[in-house]
Amino acid sequence: MSENRLEIRNLHARIAGGVDILKGVDLTVPAGEVHALMGQNGSGKSTLAKVMAGDPAYEITDGDILIDGESVLEMEPDERARAGLYLAFQYPVEVPGVSIANFLRLALNARRDEDDEIGVMEFYTKLQGAVKELDWDESIIERNLHEGFSGGEKKRSEILQLLVLEPKYAILDETDSGLDVDALKVVAHGVNAARGDAFGALVITHYQRLLNYIVPDRVHVMAEGRVITSGDKELAMELDDKGYDWIKNEVASGAAPA
Amino acid sequence: MATLTDNPLLSAGALEALIRSGGEPDWLAEERRAALRTFDATPWPTERDEAWRYSDLKRFAVDGLEPTDGPDDDAVSDRIRMRMTDSDAEGILVHKNGRTIERQLAVREAGVLVTDLRTAVTEHEDLVREHLYAAVDAHAGKYHALNAAFWRDGTFVYVPKNVEVELPLGAFTSADRGGLSMGRTLIVVEDNAKVTFLDEYTSDTFDARLFHGAVTELVLGPGAKVRYLALQNWGRNVAHMQRVAAKLDRDARLESLTVSVGGDAARAEVESTMQGPGSESEMLGLYFGDEGQHFDQFTVQHHEADHAFSDVLFKGAVRDASHSVYSGVIIVDEGAQKTDAYQTNRNLLLDDDSEAVSIPQLQIGANDVRCSHGSTTGPVPEDQRFYLMSRGMPPEVAEHLLVTGFLYEVMSRVTLPKAAEYVERVVQAKLGVPGVKEKL
Repeated sequence: MSENRLEIRNLHARIAGGVDILKGVDLTVPAGEVHALMGQNGSGKSTLAKVMAGDPAYEITDGDILIDGESVLEMEPDERARAGLYLAFQYPVEVPGVSIANFLRLALNARRDEDDEIGVMEFYTKLQGAVKELDWDESIIERNLHEGFSGGEKKRSEILQLLVLEPKYAILDETDSGLDVDALKVVAHGVNAARGDAFGALVITHYQRLLNYIVPDRVHVMAEGRVITSGDKELAMELDDKGYDWIKNEVASGAAPA
Repeated sequence: MATLTDNPLLSAGALEALIRSGGEPDWLAEERRAALRTFDATPWPTERDEAWRYSDLKRFAVDGLEPTDGPDDDAVSDRIRMRMTDSDAEGILVHKNGRTIERQLAVREAGVLVTDLRTAVTEHEDLVREHLYAAVDAHAGKYHALNAAFWRDGTFVYVPKNVEVELPLGAFTSADRGGLSMGRTLIVVEDNAKVTFLDEYTSDTFDARLFHGAVTELVLGPGAKVRYLALQNWGRNVAHMQRVAAKLDRDARLESLTVSVGGDAARAEVESTMQGPGSESEMLGLYFGDEGQHFDQFTVQHHEADHAFSDVLFKGAVRDASHSVYSGVIIVDEGAQKTDAYQTNRNLLLDDDSEAVSIPQLQIGANDVRCSHGSTTGPVPEDQRFYLMSRGMPPEVAEHLLVTGFLYEVMSRVTLPKAAEYVERVVQAKLGVPGVKEKL
C-alpha cells in the first residue's frame, strides 16, 4: 500500500489542562481522495481540524498524526504546513495592513529556499489563475487580508489560499457554514479544481448540502470524540435524511459498521 | 529613587555667551534670562510627579554633559543626504551638533519663509517675537525652561494668508558627538494657508551620550491646515526630549504624527489647544521599542473653544526588555460645548521582559460633549499567530506581519507616503526582516 496518505491513529487530545475532547480518532485519507467528516456540534470535528494543524491551545495525550508515513506531532504549525498540510479555517483571522498578494507571496516563499524566491511573474500568474477559478475580481488581491470581508469572502479566501499554496492535504473546517448556494458552488468549484492524484482532502461539515458539489470518496461520522462509522457518499444522504440519532443507534445495534 | 541633578555648565555666564554669539535682540535675551531663572528655581521632576511617575528619569539626565557648539565642518553626511532625497521635501534645513549646516531655502510659493531660527530672529524679528514661546510656555516646567533658555539652532517657517505650500518642508537634525543640544522649531501658518513639515532627528550610534531637547511650536491661524511629522530615529546613545505644542484658531486643522523608534530613551509630549471653534486636531503616535529602549509619550487635548474636534491615536510595540509609557489627558474647559474628543492608546507586548504602561484620563468641565478614551495592552493574539503559522510562515515572519498589521491603523492615516514607507522600513529592520536594514 502506498505511503501517500494523511493518517490519524488513535488520537486523543484536549484543551491544555482539560478533559479529552478527542477520544481515539482513527481516520485515513489517501492521496487522490476527498473524504467528508460529518458530525453534530460538539462531536469533536473542529477540534480534530485544529489539533491536526498544531493549534497550541490543544495538547495531544495519545496517538499520532502522520503525513505520508511521517509523524507531525513534534512539528510546529508552520513546519506542518511546509510538510504539506493545509487547514481552511472556520473563522479566518483579519490581518490589517497586509495585502492578500503580499501575504501569499510570503507564505509561498516560506516553503522555498531563501535563495529561490518565487519570481514576480510566476507568482502573479498563479495568483490570478486562482482568483479567476473562484470567479473573483482581480482587485481582491490588493485588499488587506480579510479586513472588512464578509463571512463568505473569508471562506472564499481560504480556498484561494489553498489553490495558490497547493498543499498535499487539506482540511476544510466547515467551509460551507454561512454560505449561500452561489458562494457554496464557487467554493466547491475551487476545491474540485484542486483535486488530483497528489491531493487529499478532509471536508468537515454539518450538512450534506456541500457534498452535492464536492462529491466525497468516503464519508466518516464523528460522535463524542470518535469516528463511529464510515461509508460511501450515500451515507451522507441517509444521515441528512434520518439524523444523527439514527446513525448512533445503527452503530449501537450493530446495523452500521463501527 | 533616581534623582536628577544640576549641570553647572548651564550657567548664567554660559547663557550670556550664547546670547552674545548670536547678536540677539534684547527682548530675546530677556526671555532667555527669565527662562533660566525659572529653570534654576524649578526642581527636577521626580517619580513622585504624576507626569513622570512611570518614566525612567535618570535616562533623561543632563548633568555631566557639555552643550554642543557645532561640528568641525559643515559636511552633510550620506545618511542625511539620503533622507533629504527620500523625503521629497524642498525648503530644507540641516542642523548638526547644535549648528545649522545646510540651508536649501527656495520654495516655489511666494511669501513663504523657511530659515534657521537664529537668522529669523534678526531678519524676521516681528514675526518671531510675536509667536516664539507662545505655544510652549517657557515657564511651565523644568525642561520647558531649559529649552527656552538654551536653544541654539532651530527652524522657522512662515506661510502667509491663503498660500498653500505644495511640497513638504523639512528639517533634519543630526549629531556625531555627545553632549547637550537644544533645538526649536517655530511654524506660523496664517489664515487658510497650508503646509506640511517634516522634523526628523537621526544619527548613527556613536560613543558619547547625547541629550537632545526639541521643542516645536505650531501656530495655526483661522482655517490653516498643517501636517506635522516628528520622526525620531537617533542612534542608541541619545536621549531625546520632545515637546510639540499647537495652538489652533477657528476652523484650523492639524494632523500630527510623532514617531519614536531610535535613541536610548525618548519622551514625546504632544499638546493641542483648540482655541477656535471648529478647529480639529488629529494626533497620531507610533513607537516601537527594542533592546532596552524607553519610550514615554504624553498627550494633551485641550479644548478651550466649543465645537472643536480632537482625536489621539497612539500605538506602540515593545520587545527585548524595552518599556513604554503612554499617558494622556483630554481637558474640556467650561463652556467648550459640543466638544468631540477621542483618545486611544494600544500597546503590543512582544515578550515577557517588556512593559507598557497606559494611563488615559479625562477632565471635563462642560456638559454637552462627546468624549471617549480607551486603552489596551497585550501580546499578539495567539489565534492570529497560529493562523499565519498554519500558512507555513515561521514565527518571526508571522510576528512581523502581525506587528505591521497592528501599526497599520496609524500608518494608514499618515498622508505622507514617503515618510510612511520610511517608518515601515525602520520598523521592519527592528523586527529583523532580512534585507531591510541595508536600505535604510
